[in-house]
Amino acid sequence: MNRVLTLAAYNVRMLLSLRTWFVLAWALFGLQIAIYGSLMSKLVSTAVPNYLFYYAIGLMVITVFDSGAEVGRHFVEHAHEGELPYFLSLPVSRGGFLAAQAIYGVVNTMIKVLPPLIGVLWFVGDLTVQGAVFAMISMFLLGLGITGIMVSMSFIAFKSVDLYSAFLAGLSALIVRFSTVFYPLIFMPSFYSPISVFSPLTYGADLTRWVLGFDPNFLLNPILAAAVVTGVAVGTLSLSAKIVDKVIEGVKAA
Amino acid sequence: MFAVETLSLSKRYGKTDALRGLNFTVNEGEIMVILGPNGSGKTTLLMILCTILKPTSGTAKVVGIDVVEDGTKVREVMGIAFQEARGFWRHKPSSILRFHASMFDIDPAKRQDLIERTMKDLELWESRDKMFMHLSGGQAKRLETAKVLIQKPKLAIFDEPTSQVDLRGKRKIWDKIRELRDQGSTIIVATNEVREAEYLADRVTILHQGQRVVCDTIPKLKDAIAGGDIVEVDFEDPVSEKLVGSLNGLGGDVSLSPEGNQLRAKVSKAEDWVPKMTSASYVAGAKIASIRITEPSLDDVFLHFTGKALADQP
Ligand SMILES: Nc1ncnc2c1ncn2[C@@H]1O[C@H](COP(=O)(O)OP(=O)(O)OP(=O)(O)O)[C@@H](O)[C@H]1O
Ligand SMILES: [Mg+2]
Repeated sequence: MNRVLTLAAYNVRMLLSLRTWFVLAWALFGLQIAIYGSLMSKLVSTAVPNYLFYYAIGLMVITVFDSGAEVGRHFVEHAHEGELPYFLSLPVSRGGFLAAQAIYGVVNTMIKVLPPLIGVLWFVGDLTVQGAVFAMISMFLLGLGITGIMVSMSFIAFKSVDLYSAFLAGLSALIVRFSTVFYPLIFMPSFYSPISVFSPLTYGADLTRWVLGFDPNFLLNPILAAAVVTGVAVGTLSLSAKIVDKVIEGVKAA
Repeated sequence: MFAVETLSLSKRYGKTDALRGLNFTVNEGEIMVILGPNGSGKTTLLMILCTILKPTSGTAKVVGIDVVEDGTKVREVMGIAFQEARGFWRHKPSSILRFHASMFDIDPAKRQDLIERTMKDLELWESRDKMFMHLSGGQAKRLETAKVLIQKPKLAIFDEPTSQVDLRGKRKIWDKIRELRDQGSTIIVATNEVREAEYLADRVTILHQGQRVVCDTIPKLKDAIAGGDIVEVDFEDPVSEKLVGSLNGLGGDVSLSPEGNQLRAKVSKAEDWVPKMTSASYVAGAKIASIRITEPSLDDVFLHFTGKALADQP
């Protein structure tokens, strides 16, 4: 356990050396809300009350998604820069290795999302410790699931990194577009809405909104959402544990 | 108990058979050198021993622990210096070594001292402030070796530890590897360099196309080649037919190849043959300029057992 933490701490320290990125990410978040969010909010205020809040949470969920995807990419980079075999030769179990990656992912997500979350909650005048904690938990679970999906997909990278990048870009576009991050399911044309049911972001976003007290009429059933988000996290993480061993076969040994 | 034991170990990548039913053992406390040409399966074997790759069939045990069943335990007792240096690209050598030391529970009080000493020993101290990605190939290899030296594992594996390293550095690394053995570690070194094997090996395993060709101490391997010693004699004048004739008349198991002023002889025992040869030359009136006696090299051993020269491998 101690070693898992040492391993995670090492990754996190590397992450913290990239301070400028975080500042940039927060600034971008603020900008996006200030311009897009307020504009869109005016346009749709008749249909969805408080759309700015809805939109802000969607944007945070996208950040969670990006950060989860980044952990997946980080993993692939590890493999290609030759670090993965080194990590796998350390006296940590495979599960421990994945846990260290997950801790890294959670910290990465937390740093990117927590300040915007607090900022937004404060702005809408709804900042409570309870709300922030539950929102973070919901987004963590989603983040773990996304990380799991990305790591599970990483075996593609060993056939071809280009293919992996293309696949991820495509998958990201679909998962984000066909979800409720920016628009409630009830407003979606019946042609699209069934597809959104397959995007984990739909559940993550609606669950986060629900814990923050958004009008449930615009959201999925929270129990269903919580179940799916948890299921995806557990399922894809155990799948990635299996895949790590397979993936390494594809890395050039020499 | 063997420090390492494999039983009909095989590894297949797609259509390539990298290891074919390998039986291989290493005794505790010895330096075992695996000598084989490119692609003979050295790295594949080492990667299986350190649990990174899984065998396709067969078993492998490290200090009695199965590498597939109990991977984490195996990783606790071994350390590997990879053929290609593995590092964190944006980190400095000392921080990489500190991380490694912390993963293997090296006493924090002694850590810094040990790291500094090892870096100085391997002439890495001057590069301590460079990022890993800015190290030269040889420096990165030294760092790779330093990790294992600091760790002092029960089983230390070095995959071509001195490729890309200059001659001085090679000597340093070899001496350090021997020192590690003297402190009680069991050591496996994979190489395709005969000189490295000669310098380090307590025993040598020759690996060829994923199979063990032969395994023994170097003197025994050399003895196994018929013909024993090689004597090279330089004469002041071209070697005459007559001289060759009288040398052939000396008896014993001898094969002579004269060329210009030089005569190369493969003889079973140089110390018996040379005195007879000098007196016969004296009688024939041929003046000797110099005599060199050499043992067959591991190259010759490799050639003998595989029918191919190590140097001529693709
Ligand atoms: N990841 C891989 N995928 C497919 N084939 C591989 C892989 N790794 C190694 N091989 C093949 O397996 C065989 C043995 O390779 P290995 O790297 O074990 O040889 P080696 O003895 O270490 O060679 P070298 O002296 O060049 O380091 C080679 O034919 C190689 O092409
Ligand atoms: Mg190799």
